[in-house]
Amino acid sequence: MRLLLIEDDDILGDGLREFLTADGHRVDWCRTLRQVAAHEREPYDALLVDWQLPDGSGLDWLHGRRRGGDATPALLLTARDLLADRIRGLDSGADDYLVKPFAPEELAARLRAVSRRRAGSADALRQIGEVEVDLVARSVRLRGQRVELTSREWAILEALLLRAGRIVSKADLERLVLGFAAEWASNAVEVHVAALRRKLGRALIETVRGIGYRLGSGQ
Amino acid sequence: MKPRLPPSIRARLTRALLASSLLWVVAVAAAVWLAVHDEVDELLDDTLEAAAEGLRGPLSQFPAIAPAAAELSPATSANGRFAWQVVDHLASSQARVVASSALAPTTPLRPIASGGFSDSDDWRVFGIPLSDGRHWLYVAQTHAERQEALAETALSAALATLAITLLAQVWLQAQIRHELRPLQRLAEHLANSDPEDPGTALGPAERRELQPVHRAIDELTRRLALRLARERAFTGHAAHSLRTPLAGIDAQLAVALRESPASLQPRLQRVRTAARRLHRVVSALLALFRSSATLQPQELDLAEMIARLAVEGLAFELPDRPLLTADADLLAAALLNLCDNSLRHGATIVRLSLPGNNVLRLHDNGAGISNGERERLQNALGGQVGASGGGLGLLLVDLIARAHGGCLQLPAVDSGFAAELHLAPRQPAT
Repeated sequence: MRLLLIEDDDILGDGLREFLTADGHRVDWCRTLRQVAAHEREPYDALLVDWQLPDGSGLDWLHGRRRGGDATPALLLTARDLLADRIRGLDSGADDYLVKPFAPEELAARLRAVSRRRAGSADALRQIGEVEVDLVARSVRLRGQRVELTSREWAILEALLLRAGRIVSKADLERLVLGFAAEWASNAVEVHVAALRRKLGRALIETVRGIGYRLGSGQ
Repeated sequence: MKPRLPPSIRARLTRALLASSLLWVVAVAAAVWLAVHDEVDELLDDTLEAAAEGLRGPLSQFPAIAPAAAELSPATSANGRFAWQVVDHLASSQARVVASSALAPTTPLRPIASGGFSDSDDWRVFGIPLSDGRHWLYVAQTHAERQEALAETALSAALATLAITLLAQVWLQAQIRHELRPLQRLAEHLANSDPEDPGTALGPAERRELQPVHRAIDELTRRLALRLARERAFTGHAAHSLRTPLAGIDAQLAVALRESPASLQPRLQRVRTAARRLHRVVSALLALFRSSATLQPQELDLAEMIARLAVEGLAFELPDRPLLTADADLLAAALLNLCDNSLRHGATIVRLSLPGNNVLRLHDNGAGISNGERERLQNALGGQVGASGGGLGLLLVDLIARAHGGCLQLPAVDSGFAAELHLAPRQPAT
């Protein structure tokens, strides 16, 4: 998943970025809301937002995004543990609320759960035709046989799975898979999509000509 | 030992009123005595004089009428009002009583003829000569009789005053009770008030005398609310300052555990365990500090709470209906500290039960402690301030129980370690 982490504490931010990156996510880390402004138009699979930031309230920022129509899954990370704070946080648009200190393993698990729910299913196992995808184990099987994917192939598959039924533009897919400000060959997405089709079947990913890609029926 | 009740305003006022009423009765009686003394004397003298004048005419016909007068006089003298004598002062060389009323003495009231008033040891005498110039009429009254008349007058006044005072006592009692009601209402208002609720202000007092008390309480409430707000703000800052670095340490350790060689893993894991223990202590301290003013008891499901705490290394056995009424944050902090205690003593299973009314018992299968050590810990918890050697974890749990109105008990068990968290009595389900 491509994640936007907004956390002003260097030690915590660095630790989370490293941990989540090692988990296979692509993390853009911002320490202030000013830095976040540069990422406003980027597509993300989930947002990890600290409430108290040096130049403002992460919660207010999230609330603003929600009012603007953004539905990206968001987890609020905060030291505020009062019941009233938790209620306010969830009512302001957070999908989940984690009180510091928390184990990064728990954060990763909640992240997966929130993303799955947003994608329309609480189950980590997804069946697309003859393809079975385990979002927790990050494994793929075709007719019961395990299929090895590269990290970028997995990232494309996961991005489409989390947006099942929706068309994802090639540009968004590039950014979701590669991350912010990275350079990539212009046909890289096509190359990885072709590889996925080769490994898992042509029907897995549909091309919507001139717009982008969509998860297919798998058959 | 039952604490001695402070003195009651009502009882003290009643006693003071009774004492002052008695003094008032005595004072009124004395004042009446002094005021009417001369008047009564004068009145009785007038009576003596009038009686003498009245008897003088008939008795001047002496001796023909004197015996008849003596026959008649008992009616007046028998009631003790006065006595009379007719004395012959020219008989031989000595005065001689020739006629007298029944109560009159047999010896002449005056040995030498004289008119007007005079006093002897027992009598007040008024003398007047009869028409023959030889006999004198003496009308007399005993001093005792005159004193009695005076005393009766004073007593009547005192009794009337006493009756009025007793009636006034009843009225004053009712008035005291009525005037003390605003204090009762004030106490009820304060008992149900929350210093952080802006609607708590007392407002104008029902009595002028209570205005300074209302002002002082309102000022105290304002200062208390301000202090609570500052403490909450401080707790918020403290929570952020303590929790964020702890989260950072845990995240860094999680990454280090993934990246480090196998030889370093146990050491890093121990560091992470210690950091998590620190989390629990910090969380408990913050929760305790914050909840001291705003305890929020609610019905909690222990099974859900245990699942949410996610304590690694311990298996839990739960009662059938694991419901408990407590502040969620504080109970979580208490459970984490008790679980931490069990883990440190090698426990793998913790049995939870509810042996009493809102009492939570945790019994682990760890190494436990000796009976002597258990008693020492219990005494240290009972001593609270200044207790040493009890361990911060158990002390925190005890403080959390006390914040609920209960305490932490460490019962004797055959094996392992047991702790009973006595919380405030549960509210009956409605």
